[in-house]
Amino acid sequence: MNYLNLIKTIYFTLFLICYLNSFSQNKKQFQINFEPVFSDKKLELENKYYKLNNQADSIVFTNLKFYITNIKLLNNSKTIFKEKNSYHLVNLNDSNSLALQLNLPTNTKFTSIQFNLGVDSATNSKGVLGGDLDPTKGMYWAWHSGYINFKLEGKSNLCITRNNVFEFHLGGYKFPYNNIQTIVLKTINKNHNIIKVDIEKFISAIDISKTNMIMTPSKKANELSQIVSKIFSID
Amino acid sequence: MKKFVLILILIISIVAFQKINEELINIPSYWPKPNYNFTENPLSKEKIAIGKLLFYDPILSKDNSISCASCHSSYTAFTHTDHELSHGIENRIGLRNSPALMNLAWHKYFMWDGAIHHLDVQALAPITNHDEMDESIENAVAKIKQSKKYKELFYTAYQSKIITGENVLKSLSQFLLTLVSANSKYDKIQKKEKEISFSDSELKGYEIFKTNCSSCHTEPLFTNNEFENNGLAVDTILNDFGRYKITESISDSFKFKVPTLRNIELSYPYMHDGRYKNLQMVLFHYTENIHHFSTLSNQLLNKIKLTEIDKRNLIAFLKTLTDEEFLRNPKFQPN
Repeated sequence: MNYLNLIKTIYFTLFLICYLNSFSQNKKQFQINFEPVFSDKKLELENKYYKLNNQADSIVFTNLKFYITNIKLLNNSKTIFKEKNSYHLVNLNDSNSLALQLNLPTNTKFTSIQFNLGVDSATNSKGVLGGDLDPTKGMYWAWHSGYINFKLEGKSNLCITRNNVFEFHLGGYKFPYNNIQTIVLKTINKNHNIIKVDIEKFISAIDISKTNMIMTPSKKANELSQIVSKIFSID
Repeated sequence: MKKFVLILILIISIVAFQKINEELINIPSYWPKPNYNFTENPLSKEKIAIGKLLFYDPILSKDNSISCASCHSSYTAFTHTDHELSHGIENRIGLRNSPALMNLAWHKYFMWDGAIHHLDVQALAPITNHDEMDESIENAVAKIKQSKKYKELFYTAYQSKIITGENVLKSLSQFLLTLVSANSKYDKIQKKEKEISFSDSELKGYEIFKTNCSSCHTEPLFTNNEFENNGLAVDTILNDFGRYKITESISDSFKFKVPTLRNIELSYPYMHDGRYKNLQMVLFHYTENIHHFSTLSNQLLNKIKLTEIDKRNLIAFLKTLTDEEFLRNPKFQPN
């Protein structure tokens, strides 16, 4: 155990040096806010929304969670900033998780932001991980190893299912169903950007009366993941 | 100079980790390298102790009635004897026979169909399965957090006041990694220990084993860690397609993970659905009862011919894989 203490001391010293070093550079904060919406309305859990403004097709959402990982800033498609350890679980039920901050060197110039929707294969292949990737976050498949990239659950009387529920658990990291999506959006402000996540675009792109239970890394999950990748926008 | 210091630290770390591992688990020199990456979850006495406590604690099941050990008893090589299909809470019956747990650091996949790709996330499956513990990992961790006993133990082991799912699962892995069975009569002979040798019958059985069984049940772990279809007729009630369920590839239909033969004497009943009660029935299957499918293992395309004497000798050899020390080790039993 003596060895271990020695190593700990050495590591700690090295860490301290690195940490102090990092203060020598000037940093500025860049903030991103995710704003889930249903068309022009703010999305709130347990609220009723109407697909066709028709009382017959009400939709209630009970859960919206997704992984935003590997965030990069690009200057005319050239990567100029990469967030380290970039794994964020965005959860509509936890307002803190909707805001992300990046610490950038003050002179960073960028025109767009790139991120992945979901957890990459290399991370998926590791053992158990902590923080936002902890399996207690409800985004890990127990029966078949792997992360869920995007989770949307709710109820709609359009769904002929038990209690009219729909559950979309989109994931998959292995060929042929590597369903992670890369999203690039033009930024409009250098300090703060709001990324809209329009769930109405997803719902209207599918037929929820037929497609309402997706819980495996399948071909359908791949199709739906591609649709979801197009519901993010900055405007 | 900087480089030199870094290299020195690296060397010290590696040596230190190896030293810790050697103290805590016994890895025979003639075995292949473990598949588990110990540097990502370095073993410690404290973490192993938590893992063992959790393994024997019914807190992980929804109604606090069963623990991991309910289906993985240390006395029977960590499996569930006498039950063809293992049962969970409220007498719910599962789909398969619980596999024996040993030498898990050498496994590449877990479960009969390889659904799980890493030991650290394996426990999530039985904890959450409806027919097993039917608990959510969120709730299991919440229950552990409420326990004063665990609070103290986790704090000592992880120097953190917050008990996380990551640390719960890593602790379970640590205990499971220590379950190394490597001291059977077979092993003692491999290690050339004095005054130990195969009997005439065991030696003949060993030759039969090498000719007919070892391509899948490869020494020294007695499994090749692959998936094979061993010609079992389909149980039309269970309709278990095995590996196909995971890969959705027709070429994986009816394939199951090749189990180890270590401690096979005690891990009855046999096969993924526990259909054979004893080794005689297993050998009858391999010699007389192979069902031909398109995915049948190549190794079984030609009929295996064994006389009754051959079978007796083979079983005598298989019994040399029983590791009494492993089965009776107080380190693996509840406190």
